[in-house]
Amino acid sequence: MRELIRHTDHVNELLARYGVKFGIYKNNVFKEQLFPFDAIPRVIEHEEFERLERGLKQRVKALNLFLKDIYSKKQIVKDGVIPEEFIFISSGYLAECEGVMPPGEIYSHISGIDLVKGKNEEWYILEDNLRVPSGASYPMIARELCRRCSPETFKNTRLEDNRNYAQLLRKGLPYRKEQLERVKELSEMEEMNYYEIVMNVENIL
Amino acid sequence: MYLQYDYQMTICYSLPVEKCFYTIKCIPKTTMRQKPTETEIQMSPLSNWSYGEDGWKNKTIYGSIQKEHDMFDFRIHGKVEIQPIKYEEEADWDQIGMYRYPFGKCCPGEGLRQYFAVIDLKDCVSVLEKSMRIMHVLHQHFSYVSHQTEVSTSAEEAWHMGMGVCQDYAHIFIVLLRLAGIPARYVCGLLVGEGASHAWVEAFCEGRWIGLDPTNDCCISDSHIKLGDGRDASECAINRGIIIGGGSQQQNVRVVVKQII
Repeated sequence: MRELIRHTDHVNELLARYGVKFGIYKNNVFKEQLFPFDAIPRVIEHEEFERLERGLKQRVKALNLFLKDIYSKKQIVKDGVIPEEFIFISSGYLAECEGVMPPGEIYSHISGIDLVKGKNEEWYILEDNLRVPSGASYPMIARELCRRCSPETFKNTRLEDNRNYAQLLRKGLPYRKEQLERVKELSEMEEMNYYEIVMNVENIL
Repeated sequence: MYLQYDYQMTICYSLPVEKCFYTIKCIPKTTMRQKPTETEIQMSPLSNWSYGEDGWKNKTIYGSIQKEHDMFDFRIHGKVEIQPIKYEEEADWDQIGMYRYPFGKCCPGEGLRQYFAVIDLKDCVSVLEKSMRIMHVLHQHFSYVSHQTEVSTSAEEAWHMGMGVCQDYAHIFIVLLRLAGIPARYVCGLLVGEGASHAWVEAFCEGRWIGLDPTNDCCISDSHIKLGDGRDASECAINRGIIIGGGSQQQNVRVVVKQII
């Protein structure tokens, strides 16, 4: 473990060399930035993660059901749970999708639920990113570099392996080939998070 | 009663187009007011296309031309049986909501807000009366002048210019209706005696979408054929697409609508 911490700067250098950057628009100017890397950012114990995982699965299911409802019967509006202007004024509402039923009724294939842990040890959700969120490739490459710098850490510590992420993603995307080729083309045009998109697409295909 | 229509659009490119992808919304919508029959579609160059409905249930042709071409010709003709009514009934309450709020080219600015505030609607009893009053008032304060506005002109911009074409009348009318709390949608269509496509508005009054033609300051008649509708012109635009190559382009549209006796 000490070995890993000792290699923090080295991992940071490698991340820079691999071009592991993320893009953001600030005041309409596109900027690419490196991630500051922390060797051991947060330790989540198995039991705690299991509880989180159950909640997250339930949440993603609920969000997909919400999207299905919004683009079909709008029962949630009818029942007065959500005022209709929340939906129709939102820039995320696409009238084009009215009546569209995606395969498997899955509207959000990859859900980026932002979690933070408060000082009171409670977990909070900052936001739900459902419009093809990015970010998954970063911990993957960071973990790979860590593993390379300090194989001992991963041998002696019981860690959840994240190397099957692409396989899991592949299972979740039934019509992946056509869609992903398109995603790659788009990312080349938009320049957004190029590393993330190309890495993921190539792993899945 | 039957109307016979013939819509032809030709686009000429100054340089060859490598490929193009198009969406055409030009098949008359089937509603309780109108029923299209004997629809025939011709396109040149020949291309693969499929057919579907968009989010507003407009009939839509999707296709692409994958070989080099320097013109695109589209023609549709057929008959429409028209019922002598000015409305469509709407039973699905969830299909109304999106037409209540500002969208796209139909967002009010200061100018339209101030204008709406001085329209006197006090003695109007029904929603339809309110809608008609707004239409009459707008018709007096806006002039029909071609080539001053563009497809991309918003309601607020057209209002400041004080003149425009049917699309501008419709956009402004929609903004005013929505400010009055009346759901309103844009209709793209054809009209007997017009050489091009026409636009009007449907206002939601007591469970019915009533067709109002602000350019002509009247309810729609049996000379109106509805092609599509949406929250503003962009959602039922007849022709949209992407071309690769092509230089500049010139589009010619020819429309003939006749009553069949």
